[in-house]
Amino acid sequence: MIVAQQLNKRFKQIQAVKDVSFTAPDGRITALLGPNGAGKSTTLRMLASVVTPDGGSAQVDGQDVVQARMAVRRSIGVLPHNSGLYGRLTGIENIRYFGRLQGMSAAALESRIEALIQQLDMADFAHRRTAGFSQGQKVKVAVARALVHNPQNIMLDEPTNGLDVMATRALRDIIRNLQQAGKCVVFSSHIMQEVDALCDSVVVIGQGEVRFDGSIEQMRQHAGTQDLEEAFIRMAGIQTDAAGDSK
Amino acid sequence: MSFGVVLAKECIDNLRDRRTLFASFSLAVLGPVLFVGIMVLVLERALGESDEATRFAVAGAEYAPQLMQFLQREHTEITLVESAGEPKDLVRSGTHDLLLVINPNYAERYAKGNRNTLLIIHDSSKLSATRKHITQLRGLIGRYASTIGVLRLQLRGLDPALTQPITTQQVDVASPAARALTILASLPYFLVLVVFMGGFYLAIDTTAGEREHGSLEPLLTQPISRTQLVLGKLGATSVFGAASVLVFLISLYLSIPFVPFERIGMSLEVGVSQLAQIFVVCVPLILFAAALLTVVASFAKSYKEAQTYLTIVILIPTAPIIIAQFLNIESSLQVMLVPSLSQATIMTELIKNEPVELSHALVSMGTTGVYAACMAWIAITLYNRERILG
Repeated sequence: MIVAQQLNKRFKQIQAVKDVSFTAPDGRITALLGPNGAGKSTTLRMLASVVTPDGGSAQVDGQDVVQARMAVRRSIGVLPHNSGLYGRLTGIENIRYFGRLQGMSAAALESRIEALIQQLDMADFAHRRTAGFSQGQKVKVAVARALVHNPQNIMLDEPTNGLDVMATRALRDIIRNLQQAGKCVVFSSHIMQEVDALCDSVVVIGQGEVRFDGSIEQMRQHAGTQDLEEAFIRMAGIQTDAAGDSK
Repeated sequence: MSFGVVLAKECIDNLRDRRTLFASFSLAVLGPVLFVGIMVLVLERALGESDEATRFAVAGAEYAPQLMQFLQREHTEITLVESAGEPKDLVRSGTHDLLLVINPNYAERYAKGNRNTLLIIHDSSKLSATRKHITQLRGLIGRYASTIGVLRLQLRGLDPALTQPITTQQVDVASPAARALTILASLPYFLVLVVFMGGFYLAIDTTAGEREHGSLEPLLTQPISRTQLVLGKLGATSVFGAASVLVFLISLYLSIPFVPFERIGMSLEVGVSQLAQIFVVCVPLILFAAALLTVVASFAKSYKEAQTYLTIVILIPTAPIIIAQFLNIESSLQVMLVPSLSQATIMTELIKNEPVELSHALVSMGTTGVYAACMAWIAITLYNRERILG
């Protein structure tokens, strides 16, 4: 379970995140929905203990992201917005590297990698260097790497970016499986349809602030429209003429 | 230890990059080969010079048979030229490089005891060995002239020393061995470059490269302290720096025997123990180089930018060596405080088989080690800042 309370983060002149609070419970998929530059990535970075909040606090499974960094890092798996793999290492080596950094024993690590390869259907390519991988193959390896230590909480930063239909579908299945296994899944997105297809609850973020927190259905009612995209645009406070450069 | 995990991964990662690997080690392999090549060339030339004959052409040889006899007895290679035509044209056209012209009235003036002037024609705009031959030819003629002068004075019952109240004697100690030593002095310069080149690409790849590829952020979400992470990266860079130095020393060990030192009466045996000592003295410099390169590369926003910065950075450690050579600074305790210069100085001493003071070696290793630790600390501090994510 991930709890964010009044998170604040400022980069020089820009207030990137302002008083963001939400709760992402176990066994549910929570979406951080917002346009580019709304503060989704910064929020996720704070939850992942990479960036320190200026104000407020956040807990992952009750552990504070600032006070208990190492404990938090052991209980989360992070999928960055580009896969961030090492091209000269094979798929398995990429996964193994993070498993070792997580302090897993060699035996446990190898059997876990074997299981992930089966689960994510990677047997055909996991032994090759990742430099030549398709986007879909890269995402699978990155997901396996994030899950290698079997974390309770999973954060995915715009995971479907650049994926084709089949790869997107495969990723959705993976995320649903995680939910069914009782994991806490948080993912950020700027694509309404994706959120609609997958999520239990939505946190809409616009200009660093939480604009809405609830279920998809509640979001439609709240915005007073059945058109989800329209609802999202109204919530996020995007001026139609300035939508392109809301950064 | 997690830092070992990082170190091992970075080493494997870099080993798989054949092209950069080749670039990192090319200087270490080829440096000594190049060095030996130049050395052999210079020595062959220096050795060749001393037994080369003085080469020139003579026009009007028939007018001074005695002079010609004298010249032919010396170590010379004379071409005789018909005196017809303008002698200068022969040199201008390049038929001859150096032409000695004897006038038809030579014998007449000689008999009367008058002064004879011989013409030496050459073209100074041409780069050739002529310059050396001119000096030798003038020396020969001067010797012949003074012999005749002495004879004439003696015939008149005068002491020849009268005309020479003062004489000078020139002794040139610049033996081929001395020239060899000058070239030898460039070896430490290579060594320092090799130390920095070895870790060059790894320092970029583990910092700016990692950020550019987007792998830094997931890495930072792993339960490993930034200190361990940076030490792992520095360790990998150091391993490659050390490997580069080892390759350099092995290459040196294999190529040095090709230099004909014995022919110039010099014995330069670079043994395994000397090379081992050079390596040990270099260890702190390797660590310092790894940390310095990593710190600078961490500031760069991209791989390319880091490459630009580091290209400048690897030139910096060669500066103290060049300055010290210009100012002729001798080995001292103060010198040992300067990284790169201290290692270069000790290496020169070791190669020349001169005794190295233990205190010097210890001060060099100690101070450079401290600088390395400071640099490593800076690198760790940089990685503790959020700005490292770019």
